Amino acid sequence: MDDFKEITAGNKPFKKAYVAIMLWFVGRAIQAAARVDKDVKKEFEKLPDGFTFCLGVLPRGPYMIVGKNEKGRVKYMGWKPDGKRIDLDMKIKNIEAAILMFTFQESTAAASARNRMIVDGEVPYVCAIVRVLDIGEVYLLPKFIARLAVKRYPAWSFGRKYIGRVRIYFRSILGY
Amino acid sequence: MYLSGYYEFCCRVKMIAGHDALEKIPGALAQLHAGRPLIITDKGVSGAGLVDTVVDAIKDGIDIGAMADDVPQDSSVKVVNHLADVYRDNNCDSIVAVGGGSVMDTAKGVNIVVSENADDLMKFSGVGVLKKALKPLLVIPTTSGTGSEVTLAAVIKDHERHLKMAFASYFLLPDVAILDSRMTLTLPPFLTASTAMDAMAHAVEAYTGLAKNPMSDANAIAAISLISSNLLNVIKTPSDREGRLALANGATLAGAAFSNSLVGVVHALGHATGSVCGVPHGVCMSILLPYGLEYNMHKRAHFTGELLLPLAGAEVYVGTPKHLRAEGTVAYIRKMNQNMHDATDGRHARFFEEVKDRDGRRMVPREKLEDIAEAALDDGSIVYNPEECDYEDFLMIIRAAWEGAPLDRSLIKGV
Amino acid sequence: MFFPDNYEFYCPVKINSGNRALEHLPVELDALNARKPFIITDKEIAKKGLIKKITGAFKDSGITLGIFDGVPPVPDLKLVRRLMNNYRDTGCDSIIAAGGGAVVDTAKALNIVVSGRPEDLKESAGEDLIKSPLGPFVFVPTASGTGFETSRFATLGGLSFSSHFLMPDLVVIDPRMVTSENADAVVSTAMIALAHSAQSYTCPAKNPMTDTYAYAAMQFVGENLANVVRSGDKKGRLALANAATMAGIAFSNSPRGMVHDLGWAAGDISGLPHGICMGILLPYVLEYNIDSEGYHMSDMLLPIAGFEIYAGTAKNLKARKAINFIYDMQHEIHDITRGNIPLTLKDAGISKDALDGVARAAVGEGRLGFNLDDCMVILEHAWEGKQITSS
Repeated sequence: MDDFKEITAGNKPFKKAYVAIMLWFVGRAIQAAARVDKDVKKEFEKLPDGFTFCLGVLPRGPYMIVGKNEKGRVKYMGWKPDGKRIDLDMKIKNIEAAILMFTFQESTAAASARNRMIVDGEVPYVCAIVRVLDIGEVYLLPKFIARLAVKRYPAWSFGRKYIGRVRIYFRSILGY
Repeated sequence: MYLSGYYEFCCRVKMIAGHDALEKIPGALAQLHAGRPLIITDKGVSGAGLVDTVVDAIKDGIDIGAMADDVPQDSSVKVVNHLADVYRDNNCDSIVAVGGGSVMDTAKGVNIVVSENADDLMKFSGVGVLKKALKPLLVIPTTSGTGSEVTLAAVIKDHERHLKMAFASYFLLPDVAILDSRMTLTLPPFLTASTAMDAMAHAVEAYTGLAKNPMSDANAIAAISLISSNLLNVIKTPSDREGRLALANGATLAGAAFSNSLVGVVHALGHATGSVCGVPHGVCMSILLPYGLEYNMHKRAHFTGELLLPLAGAEVYVGTPKHLRAEGTVAYIRKMNQNMHDATDGRHARFFEEVKDRDGRRMVPREKLEDIAEAALDDGSIVYNPEECDYEDFLMIIRAAWEGAPLDRSLIKGV
Repeated sequence: MFFPDNYEFYCPVKINSGNRALEHLPVELDALNARKPFIITDKEIAKKGLIKKITGAFKDSGITLGIFDGVPPVPDLKLVRRLMNNYRDTGCDSIIAAGGGAVVDTAKALNIVVSGRPEDLKESAGEDLIKSPLGPFVFVPTASGTGFETSRFATLGGLSFSSHFLMPDLVVIDPRMVTSENADAVVSTAMIALAHSAQSYTCPAKNPMTDTYAYAAMQFVGENLANVVRSGDKKGRLALANAATMAGIAFSNSPRGMVHDLGWAAGDISGLPHGICMGILLPYVLEYNIDSEGYHMSDMLLPIAGFEIYAGTAKNLKARKAINFIYDMQHEIHDITRGNIPLTLKDAGISKDALDGVARAAVGEGRLGFNLDDCMVILEHAWEGKQITSS
């Protein structure tokens, strides 16, 4: 039967690498924003100590994990979910959907509305993390892109936005 | 036509509707290779004689395995496990659920336990855990509102562990939904009003929400048209069988729309008001719906305006200038509430200040509004709302809805 | 709004449509408990590189796929048996059909045999003889189709099947799969969708559930067909693929009706695409039935012409307006294609003498309450391109 064949689909290493870098950066930026921004700080205060959140791509990553340690400090906890207890698990259904999100063609809200993600966890956690991600995007992205990524671009003071942005970039890269 | 960049739509439930749809249950079960159902319902439904109607309609066609009419208001793991035992002890092979949201959630939970032989329901909570078809489940709604007959989610509480478990899977969808006019014929007018407005809110929010898509739009338009053109008649003439069936159809269509497109700020605040003050869900929906539309109007004027057609009909639509249609839609829904208020001797509330419990006490004290706004921040529906909603936004909306004054749209951030 | 006293409706189909829809396949198959899909298609489609787009969607998933790309225009039972062996030998557990017509018929027949026993195929031919759900079945539409793809129907090797278990579990409409095609195929496929949905929406047995699918389908065609033929508009192309999917679902829950039967017979006799013939006949059939009780033609104006035209047209003129909308659309397409898409059966190359045969073939199907005389009136008018002035 020459018309029949079996094939094993290959991989998309470059796209995976890109998303992995973005996830790494987002994870460290959340850790930084939790120290710098009052709203992010407040969102995490409401979450229980030991809370962990995983954002990743199906079926086999990349992932990033952010959580609060026992002392209530928000930490980027690496890219390996194995063996960790995850309270809120947000999985993007495939790498192409992740690319749409991390090239800012689809906002978090649009991706949810389009059923691009599988979310497992308590609903209040989801709401809090979505707000944190939105604030993060406003810090990290220039206004003309962030406007597409969030529903309402916030009217922040000059200090919060620009000084905050510098501090968060600085901390994300250095990782503290 | 609105075709979003990507959408998914699925409504896998078989519909059987009519004035004698109940009689078709034995045949529908036989097609699913079943014939010995456990009937699950609650005391309210059985007290109203509705279960007797169901039993009379099916008893010649099949053996009823067992009957359980003690589902409480809140579905819980304990009840689910108890009913699973009843199912097994009586060698049942299928489930027939008669009632509203909590009965259906309970039935879905029982179905997981008996199909998966689960000792711990918890293992199956979350998304995508179920991997195969469950036992046949038929549902017979007794209100025209929740749309649970076509939704794929169930919420079950574990009181001992203080957990609220959410289940979501296409396998949780009932196999068959039976809409029979006899099931809602005795629903009192004020309950008919609020439950129908629950369905209306599903359809309207699905049509104006972020996840709207062509199929949910078609369902929403049909639902709104059926509800709008029949609701007041049915409230005035509760024995109107045609009207009752139309409302039942409308509620199911609205359920299909929102289970695929989800809801927004109206539901976020409605759920919060329900949990903080115990106001029935449908009442919250009727009051909040016009406010939600006003809040989102600067982003959704076109879609909101289109709804004037199924709501008010072609003549009103074409007679309203384009730029005034969105406001026309809001005004029309307010007028519906007013008309229902008049037709129910004031029992259908128009704003939260006038919502009273059975003993005539005010259910929503003004000082609770901050708590409601705070609680709404934790509601998942906000993700799908077109406009961002923070604490101040919620507070502004709920205050206006408490007083009954239209929303001052100039105060909305970003307008 | 009309709805009947009694109805039943069933549609197991999930629709995923839009940007990167194919990439959701691994997750969707997992939800259907499937690990190894068997892709069925034909040489044409494979040659266009479309199968690579599907396999590309499985990258990173670790899934192995079986692929058969040799479905001939007229598949037979022997082929199904051969495919069954491939399917079983390689441990496949689900089917993805990419294409239309013969490809999907083959896939449906294969699903019957792999879900049961080989000899089931003959036993399953007929009305509602498949009694249990079959294996996971995904349909990926490409450019053109027969309108049967998402329906409960299949025909193969002289056998006809009808069961809602034959409907796909999932339809994946991806813009990359439904791009360029010649005007004939576009119009034919869209006109089948329009004819099936219009019939379903106006027939006496309509119900609110079929209406939603028919409504969406008509809306898509009414708004997009002319544009797509003119400019190949991408979003419009996606909308037309949506229309075909939804019309198939509405069609599965409604009687077949006159346009379908006449159009099918005319296509068989003329050798033209069936959809082109259905398109020519649709407005005439509607006109012929305009005064009949139970025909809900005025409601049709809303989906086909949109909110403004519907609301702005007087009640007693809505049905006529809907028909004229279809005539106008066809004239527009006729002009855009410089007459390539015919407006009359005469231009379609059917001789006047052949009309009788068409009518007999359609009536021979014996499905609905229409007779030879009815058919001849419609066919003669459609042949000449003369409107039926209803009294």
